[in-house]
Amino acid sequence: MKNIDDDLLNKYLDGELSSEEQQLVKTEIEKSSELKKKFDFLHQVHTVLNNLELESPNQDFTNLAMNKIRKKNSAVRQQKYFLFTILTLFGITILGITGYLFYQIIFSIQSNQSTEIVTKYFRGFGNYISDIFGSNNLSLFSSVLSFILLLSGYFLIEFKRQIKKKFSH
Amino acid sequence: MKMKNLSDAEIIESVRKGKTADYSILIDRHKSKSYSMLKRMLKNEFEAEEVLMDCFLKAYNNLATFKNESKFSTWFYKIVYNTALTRISNTKRKIESEMTSIDDLHFLHSKYQADELVNEDIPTLVKKIVSELPPRNSAVISLFYLEDMSIDEISESLQISVANVKVLLHRSRNLLREIIEKRKVLQEVL
Repeated sequence: MKNIDDDLLNKYLDGELSSEEQQLVKTEIEKSSELKKKFDFLHQVHTVLNNLELESPNQDFTNLAMNKIRKKNSAVRQQKYFLFTILTLFGITILGITGYLFYQIIFSIQSNQSTEIVTKYFRGFGNYISDIFGSNNLSLFSSVLSFILLLSGYFLIEFKRQIKKKFSH
Repeated sequence: MKMKNLSDAEIIESVRKGKTADYSILIDRHKSKSYSMLKRMLKNEFEAEEVLMDCFLKAYNNLATFKNESKFSTWFYKIVYNTALTRISNTKRKIESEMTSIDDLHFLHSKYQADELVNEDIPTLVKKIVSELPPRNSAVISLFYLEDMSIDEISESLQISVANVKVLLHRSRNLLREIIEKRKVLQEVL
């Protein structure tokens, strides 16, 4: 009797052997009652494992999972809208300040009907910039901008924390 | 109804295009098999459900990174297996799972009393033992028999070599065979 070990029997069961090896194992199984018994038990295990029952999670599992996904999607969307709103507000503030500056400059240019309009335009612009950023106004604008940035940062962190909290439960 | 006949790849494409609701078909298709595997690995149905929920969310969040080079199930079971291992390593069962390595299956041999072995029918006994196998062994058994995965696919999913997958499968089966043999001997003696 050839030495047919457990590994070879398993490979025979799974059809992993070459046709010659397969024939050899088959012959040995037919010859030896002990080996046949061993293989029969292995085959029995294989059959039971093939019929293992599937177990299912909670009936509502799919709905619960989809709800979590929907909530997450809406949170991401809200986060996008929030960022968009903050950036828009920030943009509008900057635009407002710039617009106000240009309005003041153009107004001053229009009031001077001289031929040296271009020179005055640049001089006027320079003066305004130095007036605004050279005086107390600079600290006022900086304060407003810093306040907006801090406020946005706070809300953003708070918003993210709430989302995290929501999904950890 | 029509959607249910689509392949996993087609459903993923649809979800990527914005039809989030179609993801529920993928969940329905894979939840039972992956839950069965997780329950056997974690030995706890509540934890199995919790981890499964985590896995489906992870898979959804990473759907953009999924390439159609492999099957969705192969990719998904990689997530399931790794998440389960992380959960095991985060609990006290880490020590137990380390103790019950692939070379240490014999603890199951001596676990069952003679009368328990004789009185149980074979399918019940096999199922009982399978649910007590170490995590890696039960993962291989679940994927091979429940998911009908090939050895190569299991190797890819669990990120272990083909040789190791075979070792885990053969040893688990041999253990079950030996216990059934022991049961037969006991039946004859008693």
